[in-house]
Amino acid sequence: MSSGMKSTFRTYDSLPLFLRMLNVLILFVLVILMGIPMVNVLAVSLSTVAKSDSPGLVLFPAPVTLEGYRFIWKNANLAQPFYNTLYVSVVGTALHVLMAALAGYILAQPNLPFKRVMTTFILLTMTVPYELTMIGIYAVNKSLRLINTYTGLIVNGMISGFSVFLLRNYFLAIPRSLAESARIDGAGELRIFSSVYLRLSTSGLMTIATLELIRRWNNITMTVTLVSDMKKWTLPVVLKFILFDQTSVSGSSYVFANAKMAAVVLTAIPLVVLYFFTQSFFSTGVMLGSVKE
Amino acid sequence: MSGSLLKRIKAFKTFYLMFLPVALYFIVFTYYPFFLGLVMSFQENRLIGARPFVGLENYRFIVKDSNFIAAIGNSLIIGLWDMVLYFLCSLALALVLNEVRHRTLKQSIQTIAYIPYLFSWSVIGGVWALIFDLQGLVNKVIGLFGVEPIFFLATPDYARPLIIAMGVWRSMGYFALLFTVSIMSIDQQLFEAARIDGASRMEQIRRIILPGLIPTMKTIIVLLSIGVLTHFDEIYVMVNPANRRLISTLLLYVYETGILNFKTGTASAGAMLVMIGTLVVTISMRRVIGYDKDE
Repeated sequence: MSSGMKSTFRTYDSLPLFLRMLNVLILFVLVILMGIPMVNVLAVSLSTVAKSDSPGLVLFPAPVTLEGYRFIWKNANLAQPFYNTLYVSVVGTALHVLMAALAGYILAQPNLPFKRVMTTFILLTMTVPYELTMIGIYAVNKSLRLINTYTGLIVNGMISGFSVFLLRNYFLAIPRSLAESARIDGAGELRIFSSVYLRLSTSGLMTIATLELIRRWNNITMTVTLVSDMKKWTLPVVLKFILFDQTSVSGSSYVFANAKMAAVVLTAIPLVVLYFFTQSFFSTGVMLGSVKE
Repeated sequence: MSGSLLKRIKAFKTFYLMFLPVALYFIVFTYYPFFLGLVMSFQENRLIGARPFVGLENYRFIVKDSNFIAAIGNSLIIGLWDMVLYFLCSLALALVLNEVRHRTLKQSIQTIAYIPYLFSWSVIGGVWALIFDLQGLVNKVIGLFGVEPIFFLATPDYARPLIIAMGVWRSMGYFALLFTVSIMSIDQQLFEAARIDGASRMEQIRRIILPGLIPTMKTIIVLLSIGVLTHFDEIYVMVNPANRRLISTLLLYVYETGILNFKTGTASAGAMLVMIGTLVVTISMRRVIGYDKDE
């Protein structure tokens, strides 16, 4: 019955044949343009030195070898930046989510005196991109002795207006009656916060955690502003030097294309894995992030 | 009245206590650096110790600095092109993708287009360095048409187009996702009504989808206009002696002057000018698209 209905309307449902074919063509070209370079990088990273440095299109490594990975891991001492990035990203993200949840919870309180002042106070921090205050940020961190420290990289960006307001909106959607009944049962404010609000906003918390983890993993601006000590550099910064200024990270040995691409893959792969585990939170983040304040 | 306010404040004292670390963070790491930057822009180039005030000296110096002038031009060219292309390409992608009826296929293409946005700029730089290498994919392809290999990354003519295209390649999928989410939230009944009126698919796109996307378009334009003058990461990664003159942006200037060369006053003055520039760009874009008028 319903399929019969559909077929009567089908003529209106799609574009004329010519445009449909154009559509397919555009998408085909797009997939080639987006996909082939990534496949190329992966294939070269798994190739031998000889294969990766000879001209030609490498889409299938033959033979497959991990020598590029082994070379770059050892010669550029990648274990250190890997650890730096992981540590700073994970700890920083955990703190970020906690702080943003706290602030979002406070701003979600009805009848809180001076709530508007507090809201504006946080909204204002979103008006100036932090990159534009990097000299001030550097000077402040310098006087707090946070330059060249993990703490500096973790503390800066510990909370952001975006995360606060996203979580506030989550908390506002939770019925007040739940908090009231918990209060009647004698639960303290912190208890209500953790066992009612946090528990019911898991997807919001996950969204922020995912976005923040990616932001921190990829961050270049903050790292090069706060850290000049190569031992504390994160992967993306080390990768830049492996790719374009290799003598500073791998000593005198020449870095071949397979090793360079191995470094690219090592920097990128954790995020691809993360993406496939947390995919559903992306569109949530996208939707909430683009809401007009 | 004030008694009851006091009572209410007392009732909420736990919350104020909890707000303290939040407020402290923003004051120390957001507000203070901003004002410090403003003050430093009127002071001598010095990071530690007393900094004597020098009036507008830093600003006077910087507007005559040829590197800064060049950076203004580069930032505007790269920033505006990126803004226009991010917008148009992602809108086109979302519209084209929306015509794909096969759900899995649609989602797969969406994912492929989105993935580069997950990566840091140095990963993107690595991908492009490989495919635009002298022996890379692109040279292989143009070789088929008899074109001699070009060393793209070191040829000035290609410096800006490459940086701009890199940005589009990385961000198109993300902004397309914003549009796609917005298309999906359009009221389905509008399409039913259009079908009954005998509107073709093309008319549905023109009369329902495009108008339905206007609020999202405006939001994205405002988002993009804030970023016009703040390109940094991709420039930091890709800059080399051959392309520096053409792609060095304002923020790279600020970074190199202030953080690498410790000329904090000059750099702060630069950052302040970029801030004013961003304000001008954002406000004029908001005006042009009438962002603050409706809703």
